[in-house]
Amino acid sequence: MHRNEIPPGTLYLLILRTLARSCEMHGYEIANSIQQISDDVLQVEEGSLYPALQRMLIKGWVTAKWGTTAGNRRARYYQLTPAGRKQLDVEMSQFERVIGAITRVIEAV
Amino acid sequence: MDWLRELARRLSMLMHRRQFDADLEEEVRLHLELRQEEQFESGMTPNEARAAARRRFGNAMYLKEESRIAWGWEWFENLAQDVRYGFRMLRKSPGFMAVAILTLALGIGANTAIFSVINGVLLSPLPYRNPKQLVVIKEHDSLPNVMDIQRQTRAFSQGGGINVDRMDYTGGTEPVQVRVGFIDAGFLETLGVQPMLGRIISSGEDVRGGPRLAMVSNHFWQNYLGSDPHAVGNTIQLGGNSYTVIGVMPASFAPPAEHADVFVSLSVSDPGAGAERDLHFMHTYWRLKAGVTLAQAQADMAAIDRRLAEQYPAEEKERKSQLVPLHEWLVGDVRSALLVLFGAVGLVLLIACANFASLLMMRAVAGRQELVIRAALGAGRGRLIRKTLTESTLLSVFGGAAGLLFAKWGTSMLLALRPEELARLSGIHMDTRVLLFVLVVSVMTGIVFGMAPVWIAARADVAGALKESARSTTASTMGHSIRKILVISELAVALVLLVGAGLLIKGFSRLRSMNPGFNSANVMTMYLQLPETRYGEIPKQTQFRRELLTRLDTLPGVQVAMVSDIPLGGNYVGHRLVIDGRPPVAVGGEPLVQTLSVMGDYFHVMQIPLRAGREFTPLDREGQPLVAILNEEIVREFFPHEDPIGVRIWWAGDVGPPRWMTVIGVVGDVKHSGLNQPADPAVYEPFSQSDERWRRFMTLVIRARDASPGLVAEVKEQIWSLDSQIPVSDVHAMDELIAVSLAQQRFNMLLLGLFAALALILAAVGIYGAMAYAVNQRTHEIGIRTALGAQRRDVLRLVMRDGAKIAFFGIASGIAGALALTRLMASLLFEVKPTDPATFAGVALLLALVALAACYIPARRAMRVDPMVALRYE
Repeated sequence: MHRNEIPPGTLYLLILRTLARSCEMHGYEIANSIQQISDDVLQVEEGSLYPALQRMLIKGWVTAKWGTTAGNRRARYYQLTPAGRKQLDVEMSQFERVIGAITRVIEAV
Repeated sequence: MDWLRELARRLSMLMHRRQFDADLEEEVRLHLELRQEEQFESGMTPNEARAAARRRFGNAMYLKEESRIAWGWEWFENLAQDVRYGFRMLRKSPGFMAVAILTLALGIGANTAIFSVINGVLLSPLPYRNPKQLVVIKEHDSLPNVMDIQRQTRAFSQGGGINVDRMDYTGGTEPVQVRVGFIDAGFLETLGVQPMLGRIISSGEDVRGGPRLAMVSNHFWQNYLGSDPHAVGNTIQLGGNSYTVIGVMPASFAPPAEHADVFVSLSVSDPGAGAERDLHFMHTYWRLKAGVTLAQAQADMAAIDRRLAEQYPAEEKERKSQLVPLHEWLVGDVRSALLVLFGAVGLVLLIACANFASLLMMRAVAGRQELVIRAALGAGRGRLIRKTLTESTLLSVFGGAAGLLFAKWGTSMLLALRPEELARLSGIHMDTRVLLFVLVVSVMTGIVFGMAPVWIAARADVAGALKESARSTTASTMGHSIRKILVISELAVALVLLVGAGLLIKGFSRLRSMNPGFNSANVMTMYLQLPETRYGEIPKQTQFRRELLTRLDTLPGVQVAMVSDIPLGGNYVGHRLVIDGRPPVAVGGEPLVQTLSVMGDYFHVMQIPLRAGREFTPLDREGQPLVAILNEEIVREFFPHEDPIGVRIWWAGDVGPPRWMTVIGVVGDVKHSGLNQPADPAVYEPFSQSDERWRRFMTLVIRARDASPGLVAEVKEQIWSLDSQIPVSDVHAMDELIAVSLAQQRFNMLLLGLFAALALILAAVGIYGAMAYAVNQRTHEIGIRTALGAQRRDVLRLVMRDGAKIAFFGIASGIAGALALTRLMASLLFEVKPTDPATFAGVALLLALVALAACYIPARRAMRVDPMVALRYE
């Protein structure tokens, strides 16, 4: 099946939203989650999650700590901070504004 | 505050970089493994699964790099890497490193040493309160005038004067002479000194008949009062009188230009001299009121001068007081010398830097292949430049550090050599300003002079350079011409320095060979002063002098005489000359001449030649006709067309009936004020015929066949057998005084000579390096030439012609530069023109020889090139 690249600038939004849904996740889970929820339409270049996560760590939107997976492997789990939640709202409203505008342009007769 | 927390996170990442890398590595590996397992479970082969996982992940290497860059420490890591790499490269070529560092260390070290002197002398503020407000009046003045100025001034808030004279201090184990500063109450106040113990004298106590009070220097307090914390209130014996100590000065305090152990009030201690309006012997310091400019103060001073001249026409007719800022007045003489030296040492640094740049360029050309390969592999141009600059900056910082060691050694050498003028100004040491200077100089050197090879690196044309061999690339020929220019400039700068040094050396040798007018060899001098309490009257003084000379004459192999002020001793008394039978001159307008009193066979002992008439004899004594002997200068000036013998002279302003002195002889000129000063007109008179009671001082001049160390002790013994309370001081060999008088010139000459030698060596190394490199580059060509039948002579000529061309251009431009620059040092030269052709020619020849010698070594190597080896070299 054909997969689409995610629209530019939305990677933060996707990660933040994904993390907001659960309490903590490691990188692989985030990648899978984005893909599954989008019914396999949204294809993240999986590796690009990691630089994004680092930038989010710097901004203080997420924190990371090492834990163990169900399969008993060491993995780094990311968790949303209050600052991250706030940022999610900002990104959401921005996204909605853009999408709304695009929709209006497309549907205009 | 968010940015602060963000910075903290970034810093913590920097601290735990290793951990960060490991974490990221593990995270990525886990991701890939999990994906691989998932694919495997969906039915792929293990290999397919791994490939699919990698495909979906993307470029792991790149993404890890991105993750690191996100934290913003890339520049730091690059720098650290460059520094590490730089170290490694330098370790690989220790010879290059040593030469580069040594070159810079010499340049930076010499600069730092001179800068620390300049810093201490010219830049540091004087150790007085608000030193910028302090001015001096160049001319000496009398206490009554000083007091009038204090009353009338509208420009000064404070002012005061000092005159240092010796007095004997007899409280200790043996009588010693101490230097006493005779001051008025305003003097210490003006300088703003806070006594360490006790207080300073008040204006109420600074009056005729006031209490005898003394303020002692820290030095005196330590040496004679045993650092007694309760010294205030003690009495000390000075010149036969008791003084009460009221204050001890801090160790940091010294009068600006005078050296004094004790300070007493002039009005109290010498009311006679203090009251004389025309005895101008005080040196005065003044403090400008806030907001008053020097010009305003000068105008105010001129008005006061006018009023004083109107009021006291007999004494003050020609008043003209000049104000000078204290700092300028103190460093005036030294300043020009220091600035010339700083300029010179700056040129040395320039040569060192040129060598440094040249070395770096050779290296850059040699390492060009590597650079090109790096560029081909995708290293950014910025990164390549940074790498080269890091290396040169590393070198220059090392050079600076090594330079500091040189400087430390150099500064102590400077301090050991320093002339009297510098010795007065303390505070010559390395402080933060000096260290900052070194840091800035080193880093700037690294960056600025590291730019040359960078320029080559930046032009690295990857494709072209990879194809060609390093030898024939355009960049290397371009580098070669830059290096030629560098060597030419080095030679030019070295020539300027050599000319400067040559001029100073020539001037100095002129000065040395100056005839002082007497023979200083084997002459000892010592200073005595008779205490006023017991020797106030002239007959007492004469009796002592005559008896002393009689006793000293009995010492074997010794000739003794005495004079009021010895040549090069720094002092003399001046009188205004009146010549009998000449039309009277306006009062105060009579010519000032040096007046020296002598006893014993002074001219004979000093070997001052008699030119006409006769010398003094023991019969020219009190009660006999008054006689005088003139020097040649006074005859030249005042008796150009007549025989002075038999002429009568007298001093203007003397009171009482005229005491005409008959001229009985003429003697040769003596350089009394310094070898570089013209001889002053001088009159000699017998001590025994003087009517000046205050001439209680004298200097013995003793010519001994062999100046044994025991002689001084023997002479002292004779003095003390006559009067045990007479202190003896300033025991010197006359040769020593000549050396002291030459100290400043010697200092300038030695330093500039040293710098010039340094410059010569560096320039020689520079031209040698350039030629050696050029020969190395041309081995191939020379091999072909030899193979085609060129003789060794032809090869030698080929290389030497190149070197000679460089030397010629260097010397020619150096001469042009020297002609422009040496006038700046005209004030330091003695009887040598700044454009002295002989010096220029000699120096040019010297430099040409050195340059050719430096070329000859590589040229010889070129001669021996074996054509077979050279051709195979390709």
